[in-house]
Amino acid sequence: MAELTSFSYRPGHSFIHKIDTRFKLLFIVIIGFSSLKASMSGILLLSLIAVCGLVMVGISLRQVVRDLYIFIFFLIFIFAVRAFSAGGVALTNPFGMSLTYDGLIEGSLVCLRIILIVLIGLLFTSTTRTAEVKAAIDWILRPFPFIPGGRVATMTGLMMRFIPVIMEQARETSSAQKARSIENRKNPFYRMVKFSIPLLERTFYNAGRISMAMEARCYSGKRTGQKLSSNINDWISLLVIISLCIISFLV
Amino acid sequence: MNIIEIKELSHMFSDGTLVLDNIDFSVKRGEFIVIAGRNGSGKTTLLRHLNGLLFPTGGTVLVDGVSVSENPVRARRVVGMVFQDSDTQIIGETVREDVAFGPENLCLDRNEIEQRISDALKITGLISLADARPHLLSGGEKRRLAIAGVLAMKPEVLAFDEPFSNLDYPGTRQVLKQIIELHASGRTIIITTHDLEKVIAHADRLIIMKDGKIARTGSPEQIISDTEMFGIKEPYFSRMGLGMISWLS
Repeated sequence: MAELTSFSYRPGHSFIHKIDTRFKLLFIVIIGFSSLKASMSGILLLSLIAVCGLVMVGISLRQVVRDLYIFIFFLIFIFAVRAFSAGGVALTNPFGMSLTYDGLIEGSLVCLRIILIVLIGLLFTSTTRTAEVKAAIDWILRPFPFIPGGRVATMTGLMMRFIPVIMEQARETSSAQKARSIENRKNPFYRMVKFSIPLLERTFYNAGRISMAMEARCYSGKRTGQKLSSNINDWISLLVIISLCIISFLV
Repeated sequence: MNIIEIKELSHMFSDGTLVLDNIDFSVKRGEFIVIAGRNGSGKTTLLRHLNGLLFPTGGTVLVDGVSVSENPVRARRVVGMVFQDSDTQIIGETVREDVAFGPENLCLDRNEIEQRISDALKITGLISLADARPHLLSGGEKRRLAIAGVLAMKPEVLAFDEPFSNLDYPGTRQVLKQIIELHASGRTIIITTHDLEKVIAHADRLIIMKDGKIARTGSPEQIISDTEMFGIKEPYFSRMGLGMISWLS
């Protein structure tokens, strides 16, 4: 029996599950753009609301941290680059580089923005079926005659569907390597190469098998789609999100 | 009346390996066939020709009188394929969604899709798990879900590739019972396996493959004692001269 990753869809009947997918996508866009203008406390407020949302749909924050631990190194790297590259009065000069107050603020802001987007993304993937995402993207792209909406929607839906599968494979590969004491190797480059190659091989192999299984069940771009419908709750949610984003500029 | 006719079928991989060599056989409607052979004997490759996942490099495969190469989509509607690895067959995020995948691909009306989902889940005994996440099911349940996903497309023929691999005892019993019930309901069953013990007592015909060729074909009673020659374990009841005994009994 497999364990769910944070990116897996979790069936449920929460308020967030019931929001129309088109609105959810709109919320991501609004929050994404707002985070570029919001203050640090504003981003923290939005992040806190996203965390509450994750808890509401039953995602363990401990599991999120565990699944995204490599991402934390990435954030530390971004923070360090920002902190040491921004202008301003130097607080200290380790290794001949200037660490500035402005750099610390800028680095924190960039990292918080990324964390907010990741949290919103997690909330979206864990409460939205890929079939609904596909239908929503198809609907959004319909007015654009030169964009193959159906194909883009199918590719997006499949990508979303298989992120948890790849995460699960990454977890298995990592466990198998730990079982053979990979941790005794201190060179991170060696470990990365030894981890990435089998993971990519397995991913491509499984992608081939899945595509064959889909073909066996007559899969094509033309199929009965998911019905999308919006109601008053979606519009109220939109108003709430816009209000929160405005507040995030002001606090 | 034959539902499948295979004439002089050959298949060569792009690296020049001849995996199927001049295969000839037909399948009657309602028949239960077991195709046995060692790993690499060509069983899975043969099965994949039945619903157009592979096309012959020589010869023809006719499903319900129509060439699979000419109309693979029709072949996929007639022959439902249950893969050896259920995990790679499961597409949906819930059991219900996975069963809906096939009927949605057939562009059926939403009401018809719901009806088919309900029927397939009832037949496979998964109705109580309709909203469960497929990847959290047990091995036997996953295999039954794979069967439900195929049944919802209402195929006449069900082709199983190693249906008992990686299953524990209860899982094997569940899947075997399911296959027997599907055969009793009039469906044509084709199973590839290297483990005859579990299923051979229910089969009408046994085909033994070796190196991409049909080495033996006939009723199980006639040829079961030859299996060891081809690297397939002869069932215990046959070795003991006890006749054909169902694994379920």
